Amino acid sequence: MTDVRPGASGPDRPSAARAEGRPTPPRSGWLVVYALLAPAIILPLWVSLYDRETPTFLSFPFFYWFQFLLIIVAVALTGPAYLLTRRLERSDRVAHGLPPEPPAEGPTTSGPGPRGGAQ
Amino acid sequence: MIDHVDGVAFGVFIFLFLLVTVLGFAAARWRSGGNSLDSLDEWGLGGRGFGTFIAWFLIGGDIYTAYTFIAVPATLYAGSVVGFFAVPYTIVVYPLIFLFLPRLWSVSHRHGYVTPADFVQGRYDSRALALVVALTGILATMPYIALQLVGMQVVLQVMGIGTGSSNWFVKDLPLFIAFVVLAAYTYSSGLRAPALIAFVKDTLIYIVILVAVFYIPHQIGGWDHVFSTVSSSFSKFNADNAKGIAAGTAAGKGTMPPGVAQWAYSSLALGSALALFMYPHSVTGVLSTRSRSVIRRNAALLPAYSFLLGLLALLGFVAIAAGVKVDNPQQSVPQLFKEQFSPWFAGVAFAAIVIGALVPAAIMSIAAANLWTRNIYRAFINRNATHSQEARQSKLVSLVVKFGALFFVLALSNSFAINLQLLGGVWVLQTLPAIVVGLYTRWMHRWALFAGWAAGMAWGTWLAYGVASPVQSHFGGPLVAFPGTDTKVYIALLALILNLIVTVVLTVVLRAMHVAEGTDGTRPQDYHVDAGDIGVEDELDPGLPAHA
Repeated sequence: MTDVRPGASGPDRPSAARAEGRPTPPRSGWLVVYALLAPAIILPLWVSLYDRETPTFLSFPFFYWFQFLLIIVAVALTGPAYLLTRRLERSDRVAHGLPPEPPAEGPTTSGPGPRGGAQ
Repeated sequence: MIDHVDGVAFGVFIFLFLLVTVLGFAAARWRSGGNSLDSLDEWGLGGRGFGTFIAWFLIGGDIYTAYTFIAVPATLYAGSVVGFFAVPYTIVVYPLIFLFLPRLWSVSHRHGYVTPADFVQGRYDSRALALVVALTGILATMPYIALQLVGMQVVLQVMGIGTGSSNWFVKDLPLFIAFVVLAAYTYSSGLRAPALIAFVKDTLIYIVILVAVFYIPHQIGGWDHVFSTVSSSFSKFNADNAKGIAAGTAAGKGTMPPGVAQWAYSSLALGSALALFMYPHSVTGVLSTRSRSVIRRNAALLPAYSFLLGLLALLGFVAIAAGVKVDNPQQSVPQLFKEQFSPWFAGVAFAAIVIGALVPAAIMSIAAANLWTRNIYRAFINRNATHSQEARQSKLVSLVVKFGALFFVLALSNSFAINLQLLGGVWVLQTLPAIVVGLYTRWMHRWALFAGWAAGMAWGTWLAYGVASPVQSHFGGPLVAFPGTDTKVYIALLALILNLIVTVVLTVVLRAMHVAEGTDGTRPQDYHVDAGDIGVEDELDPGLPAHA
């Protein structure tokens, strides 16, 4: 789950190889991502759930503090979802005929770049 | 013309305004790496190289605009809590950005797309569909820019500048000056100007809001006092106006949405969230990022602004509790700052709001200008336009768009600026089937999408036209009763439902009739590529199928 930048040669080699050698079905991984993101979409839209005065918190009515809480919940769920997609992207890329990592990093690098041996 | 102006507040304001003006012009050299601004990638997308940090400020500046600072607290001040929907709206929008926009980023970078209409052209091979997507984007952006100008106007009024004259030109002279300065540095620096100014804007705004939400409630007796004062004030209003409320000539006030308004609240939040990233300016912000992961990381980081937005909205209540009395609710928060802060800090606060209007106005006019250049000028007028001709067109059109927005401000009632933006939201949401659905499947037929768009636009505009409010007989609000019920919902979502029904039905019909569906210029792989992949840096002609 480490946030490894593509192209940072050393540490990401094993994980890239793993994605290449044993392509886990991305579908089920993406379901976890959707499940993580779903509360951040459904709860804010479910207004009858929180359209009330009590219980208050620091004298804020429930209606207000619950929505502030939802912001924190959304952030807490999006973070893990982001880390998860970084792995899923690799198998997605392989499934679409791309190398697991882009051969070079950054739009300013023209051509395959110094580490461009991947393809 | 300058009566009753506090010299200290005015001096601080002018100093900060001049600072961002200098930054705006200096931005032309920032991160340019010696590249000239003679192409749309440089002028219109800032070189497509913004990382997480800059993108956070830039996209934040896109989403949280003067609308945030003026209109949302204004609705709370006026006792219409439905305006607080801005908070759930800015929660819901990020998971959507997280899921959809990396695909748009990839396909756009592989094919050199600058606008959402470029993508529609490449995907559906339909110049007509791309044209209407572009026109809708331009049309929807103008009232959004207008909203920023309204925000600036309100601050200038509260500062006491420009209210003294009955001559409309002299009255709005400061607005014109700010406007001309904005136009000039956008023209010369492109997207780099708002990206650089966004740093100053957000720093100022964070300071102002944090001070405001801790210092002012403390001064007037705490949040407990704020909420109790507001509810008793609203109860008194409702008792005094009971007859009018029963007859429907006055609106009841409350600190919480009434049960019947729950669908209005959630449909506004969902509709606005879906509409947000159909706006050309948010697409511009997203396409200016360096890689796919910058977008996803930002979807996790941007909600920090939503917290601020919620606190800011509550300043509408704080203004009531602090005894702020203004006829125009939009002036409530600037007036609160003027009364509660020492003059120098009030100057900082006013500058923060005005700069907060300049940043999105610049991005929006750039995005609208890109649409014109790529999807109208290049597609229909000069099919062999060079990069420098494209950049020159965009620069000129960015000026035209800003004057179009000024027309909106002068011609339409700006009593509730929020409704202008909501009308734009109705229109822009009708491009969702072509853009978002198109990112996943090409099942929908190009002419069905065209017909669906036309139906949604026509019905949405018609519904909005029919909404009356106490101050205007048309375009009075964003809500209508769902057909066959009394439940009010956001017009944009209703129009989108019609749009989707028409599109699906006609797709089935057109496919059965074997009507030509054009050539898809994109491949499944294009939706997954990232920075560094083969072909991602190449500027390809979007009119041609890639890798043919």
